[in-house]
Amino acid sequence: MLKRMYVDNYKCLVNFDISLDRINLFLGENGSGKSTVFEVLQRIVKFVRGVSRVEEIFESDSRTRWHTQPLQSFELDFALTEGLFRYELSIEHKPEELKRRVRHERLWLNNGPLLRFELGEVHLYRDDHSEGPVYPFDWSQSALASIFPRHDNRHLSRFKETLSRVVVLQILPPLMVAESAREDPRPSWNLENYTAWYRYLSHDQGMVVRLQETLSSVLPGFKSFRFEQVGEQHRLLKLYFANEEGNSVAGYSLGELSDGQRALLALYTLLFDAEANPDRDHILCLDEPDNFIALPEIQPWLVRLHDLCQQGLTQAILISHHPELINYLAAESGIWFEHEPNRPVRVKPINEGNLAGLPIAELIARGWLHG
Amino acid sequence: MDRYSQIIVLCEDSQQARFAYHFLIHCGVHARRIRFNKSPLGKGAGEQFVRDHYPEQVRLYRSKCHHLNIGLVVILDADARSVEAHQNELEAALTAASLRRRGADERIGIFVPKRNIETWICYLEGMAVNEIDDYSNSAILEREWTRSVARLAATRGQPLPAEAPPSLHAACAELERVL
Repeated sequence: MLKRMYVDNYKCLVNFDISLDRINLFLGENGSGKSTVFEVLQRIVKFVRGVSRVEEIFESDSRTRWHTQPLQSFELDFALTEGLFRYELSIEHKPEELKRRVRHERLWLNNGPLLRFELGEVHLYRDDHSEGPVYPFDWSQSALASIFPRHDNRHLSRFKETLSRVVVLQILPPLMVAESAREDPRPSWNLENYTAWYRYLSHDQGMVVRLQETLSSVLPGFKSFRFEQVGEQHRLLKLYFANEEGNSVAGYSLGELSDGQRALLALYTLLFDAEANPDRDHILCLDEPDNFIALPEIQPWLVRLHDLCQQGLTQAILISHHPELINYLAAESGIWFEHEPNRPVRVKPINEGNLAGLPIAELIARGWLHG
Repeated sequence: MDRYSQIIVLCEDSQQARFAYHFLIHCGVHARRIRFNKSPLGKGAGEQFVRDHYPEQVRLYRSKCHHLNIGLVVILDADARSVEAHQNELEAALTAASLRRRGADERIGIFVPKRNIETWICYLEGMAVNEIDDYSNSAILEREWTRSVARLAATRGQPLPAEAPPSLHAACAELERVL
């Protein structure tokens, strides 16, 4: 579980510190910094996966506009079965040369070092924190990303795996493509790669059966998924629907479904992926998951997600402006974001009772939440 | 239950909602047929929310029960008061709202765990409990206790062990009204 995030000098996040629980709902006005937190997380995940270099991930204009400091700092605390991991990343910006480099990247477990990458030199430590190899490394990349699993770095590898599996999504159904040329083990930011991701997940036939069963009550008439071969590598994802009598079945490609149907498909697939793999740490960050879906569909999905979080099968961090979500979650799991122009974002929990006797969504709508 | 059935759960917080969710689905109610009306007011205001919304929910139930297969589940923690005191208070709220008292044939169940829902959870997890102590911070709650709730649902209709909390015994009679 991601327990804490600290960000300094990244857009509107200055000396920003947030503690997180199993389920969290970020609330606040537009421009209050909620999505920026997701953006930071997504960039760190991308960096640690080793898919891009520091210049491509932490652009020079990502520094806080009203600050002149060259350093950006990030810290992530994860509570895993091994203990408390802390990941620290500091990026140095050199505006005059339009360059960025890793000032330091460190990983700790229960305050003992696992990795120190400082000023171009990597110090590796074994699982028992004894000193391992020291070697020079490229300042523009993640040292953590470059380390392969070994018998004496199981903790480091476990952390890297967990961090690189964090899912940060803003589901945009119109972008979900019906065809894929390959499998993809991770969903992409807007879930454009749903078909490729589902191809990967569909190896677990038990999961597919359970997902289909649930979807048959969510999408009226839904019967099954099927892949149709299109060319040598490409597969087209089709969904089959039957009429009420069951005597007429027709297939529709993913692209022919409505935006709402595709969003529901995506949301339930995320839940079933978490349920099917209880040995993995699932951290789901969903920006407005309620977009596109019909009102009666929000609570059944949310109740199921909430239950998975309580079971410890996933952690959820949600952003929403929807009253249905706010009224279900905010009283116990809400975190309020505030941001004034050219000032840092501040957060506060929503945990005090309110004397007005109004639902929290109504308090927010009236601007009465904190006053 | 068919697609037109629905059970409305009026409750204080997530713990009660989760208990009701697992109990109902293991009694055969489809998850999508359960609609939660959980206090959105914040900590400490849940009991008031349930009390305030009960008459309205009863009125809505009565307006729909003739053509929909609908039930109303009401949950509120007894805390230091008695189960009967809460039930009487809810009945009084109906009278104050010019509504008739709950009829024997109405699918409206009032569940009042004493001291609170955590007492029932701890009991179901095998702990010796009383209805005076507060178990809200018990480590047992960190367990995956929903399986015990499923087992309770599976034995529905059979008498509870004598050592079960009296408020859970009282709940069994209420349950038969709803399901």
